[in-house]
Amino acid sequence: MILADFGTSYCKIFEPEKETEPRIVPTRSLPRDFKADLATGHNAARRSFKSINELTALARGGRSIIEEEDFVLLDCGSRDIKFVRFADGEVVDMGWNAECGASMGFTIELLATYYQIDYKSLPVPSTGFSITCGVLGMSHIFDAVVSGASEAEAVAKFVRGIALNAYRFAKEPERLYLSGGLCDNPLFVRSFPCDVIPLGRFILLEGLLSTLKET
Amino acid sequence: MERVGIVGVPPLAVIAEINQQGHTILDLDEPQVTASIDQSAPFIPRVYCAILRTVVLNALHLKLDRIVIDVGPGKCDCALHVSEVLEDMLGIPILRTRNQDTASFGTPLCTAEIPLMEKFCRITQGVQSAAPYEPLSPCEPTCGFWGVPPRDFSLLAPFPDTTHVFGWTRCMENKTPADLELEKVVDLSIPTVFFAQSFCAKSALAKLLASKHPRAIAIDCDVTPGSSTRAKIEAFLELSGIEPKRSSN
Repeated sequence: MILADFGTSYCKIFEPEKETEPRIVPTRSLPRDFKADLATGHNAARRSFKSINELTALARGGRSIIEEEDFVLLDCGSRDIKFVRFADGEVVDMGWNAECGASMGFTIELLATYYQIDYKSLPVPSTGFSITCGVLGMSHIFDAVVSGASEAEAVAKFVRGIALNAYRFAKEPERLYLSGGLCDNPLFVRSFPCDVIPLGRFILLEGLLSTLKET
Repeated sequence: MERVGIVGVPPLAVIAEINQQGHTILDLDEPQVTASIDQSAPFIPRVYCAILRTVVLNALHLKLDRIVIDVGPGKCDCALHVSEVLEDMLGIPILRTRNQDTASFGTPLCTAEIPLMEKFCRITQGVQSAAPYEPLSPCEPTCGFWGVPPRDFSLLAPFPDTTHVFGWTRCMENKTPADLELEKVVDLSIPTVFFAQSFCAKSALAKLLASKHPRAIAIDCDVTPGSSTRAKIEAFLELSGIEPKRSSN
């Protein structure tokens, strides 16, 4: 049984009978004929025998991992953001933004490579850029650098603006569970104006495991 | 024989008269032409109700002899304003009605077991006729859809056939489009999607009713449903224990 979360930049793959930990494969390295038994994410319908959508996987993953009745779980991916809000153990609100959240994770990674920045070493700036998405936000970086700011400072402000945007999209909770690859980015995690509990990048796989147990 | 465009749900007496005269009715609320909706932009803002933008687009392409547009509490203020646009654009008679009919015509389609897209097609077609409905047996509902007929019916594809219809669409089938009490009717025992067109005033009512429903989600959609909107509906159904219909997989 192969479970897969087909992300835009990375695929998370897990074979529960054979492995103890999921593995991460860059999407562009995945063989063209690779097919999962149960999957979610970008291209899941094409690359699997059965698929569930990402919000469903996120909700089921959150419910199985988080031992609370009321919580907000936000997943920040390469190209979109999505959240689910639980109250009394039920999903009462959700959102998936593939448009205005466009390319956030991808852009953050791209900037680190381009400017050779280590996000672990960057302090959270006192203010962030007011931005709506990764692509449109980049012009703020160029403007700031032209105005004399360091590249690192400008990128940090960009990341803080992205985090604030994601926080607002999740409807500004006091506490937020965070999933997705950006959990590994300390600058991003610390840029949220609320308590953040990073859960790592395998929550959607947990949702697939829950789906397996339910069926 | 005339070609009469209608917008909203004109009073039954007006529809009956058009039927008796043997004129052809064209529902301008629904896409009738394949042209890009942006062709309406010189006449109506892009950031506006997609149904009324569709009305303007249809009016641009269809050769109409006159238009009957409901502008009362059974439709919306935007329709009133769009009637001015149509009058200025077309140079044909524009009859503004204020449908306040109160006689219930019945809502057999809203509660029948029929694919939801077909249900909506038949309800919207029903506006063009004053003939009584065929009786249909109601089904046990597993899901609810509250709202207006969406501009793009593909939004309805994932819903099960046992979806009951509420909101203005139910008022529409009942031929009492201004009946706010009927519009507020919901079934608290079934998971329900509350839908409004983006930029529609009814989104406030959708949000209010959804907030009071124990198992609900409020969504909105502009011209066509994007992947985010489809995913929200699909996930809501799945998480409510309902297998959504899928076009693939």
